[in-house]
Parts: sequence; structure tokens; C-alpha cells
Amino acid sequence: MIKSSTTTHYSAVVPFYVYAALCFLISSVILFYNHKNFTGPYFQPSILALTHLMALGWGTMIILGASHQLIPVLIERSLFSEKLAYLSFATAATGIPLLVYNFYYFHLGLGAQAGGILINIAVITFLVNFIMSIANDKNDNIHSIFIFTAGLWLLITTLFGLLLLFNFTSNILPSGSLTYLSLHAHFGIAGWFLLLIIGVASRLIPMFLISKYTNKPLLKIIFYLINAGLLFFIFNFNFELNLTFIPIVFISVAVVLFIFYCYKTYSERIRKKVDNPVKLSLSSVVISVIPIIILCTTLGFKQHQNVVAYGFCIFFGWITSIILGMTFKTLPFIIWNKAYKNNRVKGNNLDPKNLFSQLNFNFMFIAYLAAFIIFITGIFLLSNLLLQTGAFFMIIAAIFYNLNVFKMLSHKVK
Amino acid sequence: MNVETNNNLKLTIALAALENVIDPEIQLNIVDLGLVYEINFNDKEKLIHCRMTLTTQFCPMGESIQSETEQTLKNTFPGEDVIVELTFDPPWNHERISEEGKKFLC
Repeated sequence: MIKSSTTTHYSAVVPFYVYAALCFLISSVILFYNHKNFTGPYFQPSILALTHLMALGWGTMIILGASHQLIPVLIERSLFSEKLAYLSFATAATGIPLLVYNFYYFHLGLGAQAGGILINIAVITFLVNFIMSIANDKNDNIHSIFIFTAGLWLLITTLFGLLLLFNFTSNILPSGSLTYLSLHAHFGIAGWFLLLIIGVASRLIPMFLISKYTNKPLLKIIFYLINAGLLFFIFNFNFELNLTFIPIVFISVAVVLFIFYCYKTYSERIRKKVDNPVKLSLSSVVISVIPIIILCTTLGFKQHQNVVAYGFCIFFGWITSIILGMTFKTLPFIIWNKAYKNNRVKGNNLDPKNLFSQLNFNFMFIAYLAAFIIFITGIFLLSNLLLQTGAFFMIIAAIFYNLNVFKMLSHKVK
Repeated sequence: MNVETNNNLKLTIALAALENVIDPEIQLNIVDLGLVYEINFNDKEKLIHCRMTLTTQFCPMGESIQSETEQTLKNTFPGEDVIVELTFDPPWNHERISEEGKKFLC
């Protein structure tokens, strides 16, 4: 007899969500107080700190938490160790503020290095847990392959980041750390976030929409294009070939093919009523085109606004929009399973979607869209007023997000 | 939607009860969703054997749906043991959704 998938214990997943929600709020506040820096060059302590807080504290923490929940769901067996999940959380949760605080004040010595080491321990712990969980799994599961490869790219990103950090004080590499910044950033953006998001979204979006569409060969092509693009990016950098457009084309084609996959999934769906969290997640797929357009423009005109706008679109646009949507398609089920898995028939019919406030969600949605549009316009028009207004709306969105997350966490069975 | 059985009368009663088991994500009951494949009744051993599936093998609510199905059948047929077997052979597909179910989802 087949058992239904074994779920990871609530306590190994929820701390990641809480931490990430607070990091999003803190990031929005930092964005507000440092909005003027977005009219200048991209390499500034506040932007460096903000980027790492968004990438690690917000994006990576929530993905690690959700992955601990989704791994058993994807591979149909229990997570290898919940203790490793706690260890991964503890080391990342300590390392991230150490790194971000020291970046903010541009202290690149011992504190930042200790933070970097702790973050690497967290990533290694997560990967060991994942590898041990999928060991002996003979299923050709494309989604697991995406997640595993994304995890490897995350390790490459954080190890390389640590090397760059030591290079600031010890000259380990042939050139200064700034030379390698684009490599470090794109290992993280395309290798970790893009692969991971496509791997998980290609499974969850058809599931939520009950779509008739499946296309595993297309997902394989997307997988190869992203990895080939990244490997060519390294090759191009190493041999100074000046062919940066090739990896951009590879990865752009992959993103366009994924948009096509989502479009087909959406158009062939049986469930016509699409709820707001799924709508927001689908809008992130559209937002993913904006950084590519900016990147293509940057090739011709190396204006610093383009680089700043590119980073903003990725971290506050694409990654944030998918997390804002998917949080409300994963966390309510985690909380609901904990509360009602065994006592649902005793007369309690509360649904997962009723665990959070739809009104708060709608306010968050509107505030977030306003924040994104106003802030990005502010970057291009070099308008402090627009930047400040956009950042203000981002704080509002983060507050509504946190209110809903804590509403779910404080839910009690009546 | 086609449910195999060895007792049509009891099946009708069982399915009517199982219409109260709702998939929390889709908000549709498991009967109209076509998750129930087979229910057999062994009167001698007082045993009900239900073979069912999930919309996806990756369903995080699977454990809950399975236990609620078991509990509902136990409540409907007091004194009988219930085994709910999950199967993914054949895997569920959208064609198993009933006409009422399709109307609900539109």
C-alpha cells in the first residue's frame, strides 16, 4: 500500500518563514532610508547590504523553509533529518545579520567573514540533508533535478562570495573582488533562484490550476539552456572572449520558454477560478521579463541606473512577487495540517485559505504593485520623491505581509 | 467517475457520505473529484476496503484526505473496520472529474 507523502515537522519549516518575513520588512525600511543611493552607482555599502539581506534573508530563507516542506512531497519520502534543518536555520539566521550589518558599515573583516562562513555551513547542511533524502531515489524526477542543481549553484555562489570577501582583505584572487561581482551575482540569480523557482513553479502552478498541460521535454530544454548559459558565462569571463550576449541569449530563451510553459498551463487549466496568491505568482513570471529587457539595454548603454534597476527588478520584483504569492499557497497548508490533520471530522471545516485575511492580502497586493512601479520609475527618472514614495509603499506591503504571516502562526484550534 | 464495488446499495450510501470529504485546496468533494476508485464490502469480516487516489502523488493534504475518508466510512458504517488504500495506478487525471465537479470548477 502506498502511503501519502510524509510531511516535515512544522517546527523545522516555520522559523524560516518567520525570519524571512522580518527580513522583508527590515529590507523595506532600509530601502526607504537609503532611497537616495539608488540614483548613484550600484556598489555602495547600503545597496550591498540590502542585496544580501533580500537574497539571503528573504529569498533564500523562505526557499530553504519551503524546500524542507516540499522535498518529501517531491520525492515521496521523509526528509533525511529535521535536526539538520534546525542546524541549517540556526547557522543561516546567525550568519546573515553578521554579514549584512558589516556590509552596511563596510567592515569587511572578521565579523563579515564569520557571517559568510556560517552561511556556507547552512548551505552545506541543507545540501547534505537534500542529498541524503534523495539517495537511492531511482525516479527520473525533473523537479528534483532542478532543485538539486539549484542547490549546487547556491553552494558555488556562497563559497565564491566567501572567497571574494577574504579577497577584500587578503588578495587571494588575481584581481580585485569587484571584478568578479557579476559572476557571483549571476551564479546566485540564474543558478540558484531561476533554476529553483522554475523547478518548483513548474510543479506547483499546474497542480494549483489543475491543468491538462504537461511538457517534460520542454522543462529539460529550459534546464540545459540555463546551465549552458551559466557555464558559458564562466568560460567567457575566464578567457575574456567578450561574448556576454551568448549566455544572455541562452538564459533569455529559457525564461521565454518557461513563460510559454506557464501560458499553456494557464490556458489549459480546468480550474477557471484563479485565486489571488496564484495570480500574484503568475504576475512574477511576467515580471521576470523586465530584468532581461534591462540587461539587454545595459549591453548597449552601461548606465548605472540600468544596473541598479536590474538588481531591483530581480530582488524586489521577480523574487518578491513569487514569494508574496506562494507564501499563501504553502504556509496556510502547513499551519492547517498541524491544526486540523487529525481533528477535521470533529466538526471543524475551516479551510487553509481562511487562515489569513483576504483583505490584508489585497492591500498587500496593491501596495506591492504600487511600490514596484513607482520605485522603478524613480530609478530611471532619478527622482528622490518617487523613490521615497515607492519605498514607503514597499513598507506598507511588508507590514500587511507580516500581519498575515503572524495571523496564520497564531491560529488556534477552536 | 466510475467506482467499482461488490455492493451497489452500500456504495450509494458510502458515496453520499464521502461527498462531505472536501479537498481543502480545490474545495471540491473527493467523489466529484473522482478520487475514489473502488469500495468493496466484506460483510463476513465486517471490513470495508476503499481504494482511492489523490490529484497528485505530491499532494501535501494527502494524509488528511486519507484519514478523513477512513473516519467518514467508519462513522457511516459503525462496527466495521475500514482500510483506505492509496494508489496511483492508474494516476488521477482531469477526465475523472464529474460533470457537477466541472461545473463547480468553472
